[in-house]
Amino acid sequence: MKFAHLADIHLGFQKKESLQSMERKVFEAALDDCISRKVDFILICGDMFHSNIPNMNVQKFAFAKFRQVYEAGIPVYVVYGSHDSSPNSTSVIDLLVETGYIIKVQKTSQTSEDGSISLDFVTNKKTGVKLTGLPGLPASREIEYYENLDRQSLESEPGFKIFLFHGALAEMGPAEAKGQDVAKWGDSMPISYLPRGFDYYAGGHMHKYVHRSMDGYSNVVYPGTPFAGYPSDLEDNARGIKRGYVLVETDNSVAGGVYPDASTANTSAPLRVQFIDVPNYQYELLKIDANNKSSSMVYSEIDKRIDAVDPDGNMVILKVNGTMSEGKTTDIDFDKITETLLQNNAIAVEINRNSLSSAEYKIVESKGETNEEIALNTFAENIGGFKSPLGELMGQKGAELAQKLLQSLSMPSLQNESLAVYTERITGDALRIMRIDDDDSDGDDDSDSDGDDDSDNGGGSDGDDDNYKKELWNKGGEKG
Amino acid sequence: MMRRDNSTAANTRIVGQVIGGEFGRVAIRQKAGIEMEIGDILVLEEKDYNILLMVFDLQYASQMDDKMHEMISGVSLEEDSSGNVQFYEPNLVNYVIAHVKPLVRVKKGGSPADGEPVSTMTKTLPPFTSKLRSIEEEDLKFLDGGKDGLFVGRIRSGSEVKNVEVRLPINKIFTHHVLISATTGRGKSNLVKSMLWHVLESRAHVGILVLDAHDEYYSGFVGGSSMGGSSMGVGRRDAGPGQRPYGLRDHPDAVRKVAYYSVARDKRLPGTRTLLINIQSVKPDHFDGVVDFSEAQRGAIHTYYNRYKEQWIRNLMTINTTDTDGSREEGTDDKRSKKFSASTLNIIRRKLEMVLGLYNGPDNTLRAGNTIFDVDDRGGLTIREITDMIERGQIVVLDTSHLHSETELVVGNIIASELLNRYKRYKITGELRHKPVTSIVIEEAPRVIGADVLKSGNSNIYATIAREGRKFKVGLTAITQLSSVIPRSILANMNTKIILGNELKQERMALIDSASQDLSDDDKNIASLNIGEAIITSVFVPFAMPVKIPLFEDVAASAARHKRHTNSVRVFG
Ligand SMILES: Nc1ncnc2c1ncn2[C@@H]1O[C@H](COP(=O)(O)OP(=O)(O)O)[C@@H](O)[C@H]1O
Ligand SMILES: [Mg+2]
Repeated sequence: MKFAHLADIHLGFQKKESLQSMERKVFEAALDDCISRKVDFILICGDMFHSNIPNMNVQKFAFAKFRQVYEAGIPVYVVYGSHDSSPNSTSVIDLLVETGYIIKVQKTSQTSEDGSISLDFVTNKKTGVKLTGLPGLPASREIEYYENLDRQSLESEPGFKIFLFHGALAEMGPAEAKGQDVAKWGDSMPISYLPRGFDYYAGGHMHKYVHRSMDGYSNVVYPGTPFAGYPSDLEDNARGIKRGYVLVETDNSVAGGVYPDASTANTSAPLRVQFIDVPNYQYELLKIDANNKSSSMVYSEIDKRIDAVDPDGNMVILKVNGTMSEGKTTDIDFDKITETLLQNNAIAVEINRNSLSSAEYKIVESKGETNEEIALNTFAENIGGFKSPLGELMGQKGAELAQKLLQSLSMPSLQNESLAVYTERITGDALRIMRIDDDDSDGDDDSDSDGDDDSDNGGGSDGDDDNYKKELWNKGGEKG
Repeated sequence: MMRRDNSTAANTRIVGQVIGGEFGRVAIRQKAGIEMEIGDILVLEEKDYNILLMVFDLQYASQMDDKMHEMISGVSLEEDSSGNVQFYEPNLVNYVIAHVKPLVRVKKGGSPADGEPVSTMTKTLPPFTSKLRSIEEEDLKFLDGGKDGLFVGRIRSGSEVKNVEVRLPINKIFTHHVLISATTGRGKSNLVKSMLWHVLESRAHVGILVLDAHDEYYSGFVGGSSMGGSSMGVGRRDAGPGQRPYGLRDHPDAVRKVAYYSVARDKRLPGTRTLLINIQSVKPDHFDGVVDFSEAQRGAIHTYYNRYKEQWIRNLMTINTTDTDGSREEGTDDKRSKKFSASTLNIIRRKLEMVLGLYNGPDNTLRAGNTIFDVDDRGGLTIREITDMIERGQIVVLDTSHLHSETELVVGNIIASELLNRYKRYKITGELRHKPVTSIVIEEAPRVIGADVLKSGNSNIYATIAREGRKFKVGLTAITQLSSVIPRSILANMNTKIILGNELKQERMALIDSASQDLSDDDKNIASLNIGEAIITSVFVPFAMPVKIPLFEDVAASAARHKRHTNSVRVFG
């Protein structure tokens, strides 16, 4: 028997054309590989898509590919992830399920009065393998689910069993506290919540490949993202982390149809868990330390270092961080750098300057009794460092304007107010405060790669939140 | 206090009368038919004030001299077997003198809301011959600290429990350190469990680390995580009362507010977190007060630490530097390490092996022999995760029952240091006021704050916390059978002491000497405390309070029953 395990594909995450096509290429390559290896089935453990309703051409592409897999006779079993699900709206996953291309394994047979949750198994006809699982959930609710899970029935089920899940397990965590992973691990759940004794635990949510076995839990696996689902994934790619999917095999042939009874499967049928590399780009990673340098020094250093890289056919990632001693971050023309690299045949350019700041514009936090007071004092204290030809943006006036703007922008949406109406109202208010009448902002914030700071807060969890908030707004709108 | 007769109304409240004595030791003649107890609280009414007094000693008194009693007793025992020797008005001839001391002077009808202090110290003697009555719940109204305090028990007059709650200001007591002292079996664990439960009940923002050496707080089983049998596979909802004792996990908010870590690998309760700590989290000062290293050994350790940083243990354990005759090979590492003698390194290694359970495997690779320290790439975030939880105001219970005492203490040190360091940083950045107060609960506290551990100027993180933790909102909740072995300077810093029964004079004296209130006359009082009875002395209570601690099972049972049927969740999709 042979199956493939994928997760965190994040189709629709990439906004730039070149990256978008790589996102798809990798996905296609992985599935094509599964087809040519004639796997018995495929598991996709959440975040197949970057949002619950990705844009049309992403959907079209995915449907076409899954149809191919379907026609090859390979069932695909999935659970929702944290990105492609929504507590109160539908997901493209549901459409795929409707068409029969994929099969959802999170089946609750019964949610009894006392709150206990029983899960049903889905049986793969060809192999007799039994699958069940739970979707990705907001951290607070996740525990609630697992607290109430009826483990006994799951554990006593005979046969070869696979548990699909989407979430961070503490025991699978990294030793090194680096980058965004840490923020994600912060919400991790103890593995003791999972039912014991399954033969394989197919995980999603963590973007790096990990395979571990521990008492009661053999073969707990995250395949990681096959390409990238957060900005920092690309950086990891550049550092040479392996990307692809996981192929699992046993020697037991499936010729006889149903897999031999294997209540003690993990001793009678040792699994071979193998990582299959799916290549993507060649990378050039440039890291510039801007600490204690002036903006012009940083700029010329970038220039010099870039001369030494070979952009041709590669993806170039430029990471600039630190606090510059003088000058502004805008003194460095990142657009121009990007352009030059592209002219020299770089396939794509990613610039990460989220932790770049300047001492000249360092924000000093001030004190105050109320939040408003703190904000106003902070503005007043820091506005001196800000120069502008527009007098009303500077000094006390500027501080008050900033304060008003902050206040107006932090207004929550009204009950039953739809996202569109809310956006319009808030932007309108802001523009009125700034006394700018002409309205050319259409809420497109995709440029500058969302400004996601991948180094001090998880881009991913931000995404979750955003999604979630949008859902709340949508919900409000629908109700009204 | 007991009443032996059935005298009626008006007079019934009077229990005795002042007949002499001195300030702090007033003699009361006990009214016939009344049986006073040590610890009884009496009330002396003045015009605008009530004075509460407590009985701390009882003795016989008689109008006849001793020779007379001896003779009468002889007659009674030897001659008159019918017991016919009678006194004329025995109640007037023989009686009991109770010695009482003033506790507090309370303004009648005052309430804390008035702004004026309701209770003050008494500075005068009560008028001669004034009459005293037994205490009633009304008299204790002034203690009503609102619902925000930490409930510890109910006021007790002698062994009679009054329906008056004792609540302590939760944000203060923890940072000013709590000492819980008693001999085995007097209810320390029960008290701690009950206090933690009530921390969960209160809305206060408190983060607590519990080093649970007996694994008794979370599940309620002693050795709790290893609960056996088939019930393991089932969610907690199926385990009904009667099947198992109660623990913190039965609190309705436990899922959100209590985290439980254990090294026990098998048969764990669902939700148990794995207590696995990467060896890189261990720093030299985490051994302070746990492992004795000589000057030379310390030197070696610090050199390794400075050189290899978080890799110091690995390198110290595996780099081969042993060779005393100078014929060692000239590897760079060897060269740099050669100033330490082989024996010094070997002793350090042996100690680390013992405390951390590490050993050097074949092909000179570092191995972990126990289940708590990881030498590879796991457990690197555990300390951070635990500290995060404390910082979020959660209770983190570490089951350390499977660990050697030294190992437990090192683990405690790692977390305590991390917590204190973080909070020190918050103090500087000004974030501290938004952070919850924290406390570290540790059993058999003399292991870390005993005089022998802290001898000759040695210090460790617990002593540091005891001395200066309060500035940083980090406190110690020390549980101990022995208080006498804790240095006076530290005992005096434990500003709330909950004293349960103790039959050892020496221990009682240590507590009395360091109490926040004058307990110099309470030796007998403490000696006669029954299980679950306590005296709370604290800078945060108006007088040394006699309390009855509730039995944890009673506290938990109703709430837990309530909980079992309120969960209702749906799986979407
Ligand atoms: N407040 C109390 N009320 C009634 N019984 C108690 C109380 N505290 C303890 N006990 C009883 O005494 C036993 C021993 O208490 P425990 O808390 O384990 O003592 P320690 O920790 O001091 O050794 C408990 O099992 C319980 O039955
Ligand atoms: Mg105990």
